[in-house]
Amino acid sequence: MRIVCPFCGERELGEFTYLGDAKPVRPAAGASEDEVFDYVYLRDNVAGETSEHWYHGGGCRAWLKIARNTLTHEISSVEPAAGVGAAKVGA
Amino acid sequence: MAEFSWVSRSPLQHALVAGAYGARDVEPGVSLTEVRNFELIQIMARRGRWADLASAAKTRFGVAAPDVPKAIQSPDAALIWSGPDQFLVLSKGGKHTFAPLSQAFSQSASLSDQSHARALIGVSGAKARTMLAKLSSIDLHPTVFPIGAAAATSIDHTSVNLWRGNDRPDGQAVFNLLVFATFAESLWHTILDAAAEYGVSIAYAEELA
Repeated sequence: MRIVCPFCGERELGEFTYLGDAKPVRPAAGASEDEVFDYVYLRDNVAGETSEHWYHGGGCRAWLKIARNTLTHEISSVEPAAGVGAAKVGA
Repeated sequence: MAEFSWVSRSPLQHALVAGAYGARDVEPGVSLTEVRNFELIQIMARRGRWADLASAAKTRFGVAAPDVPKAIQSPDAALIWSGPDQFLVLSKGGKHTFAPLSQAFSQSASLSDQSHARALIGVSGAKARTMLAKLSSIDLHPTVFPIGAAAATSIDHTSVNLWRGNDRPDGQAVFNLLVFATFAESLWHTILDAAAEYGVSIAYAEELA
């Protein structure tokens, strides 16, 4: 598997580290215990299109948000995660 | 009270033995040159301040700061892309040390002095690219990795900044590697292992290639 880093170009999988699901959003400060529990622990085990965070630690050290199909390993999009390489986000 | 004399030493002080290594009955296919005593400053734009940093860099260095993986040569420094909104300033002879650069970029960036935190190894010779192909999956062919091309990548699981400097007078390409000081010896031995079959010529230098 290779990932096309938006900053570095195409690189081998070994340069990247998988973090996990990019969908969960941190609940507001006053959220219920159930909501926080869901956010911290509960993950969908998706067969198909997923949105994931990956870290290009062996390269430019940017966090990336990647759309990947878990059935085919096909990657349909790679973009900088929020706050990374601010000059390029939204460019 | 005891008096200490602190003398900076290269991270490769022990590992590097100048001379020949590996295959002896051939013209050395790889030459390795460690460059010692350089100044290296990491400059990272504060969030959303890249444009300010780029403009301050243009004023200070007279060349545009790299915003894509490239190494840009100014008259007295190399600006090496190291990631989004950040680059390294490599120079010699105290021209661009931490204090003045901190002043120059105080509004737009955070800086970190890496002068004694990295080792700089120049790889050249007729077999340099063949040897590096064993260690890196980056395509170093001149059509895609010309002079000034740069990459933040890993060799043998060790992070390196790799860029192509100016060719040697004999026309051979020079690939520069910046590696963390504490990983330098490990990477050095990996490179020697990869290069041994081609014959290696080892040296160290005080001047940037």
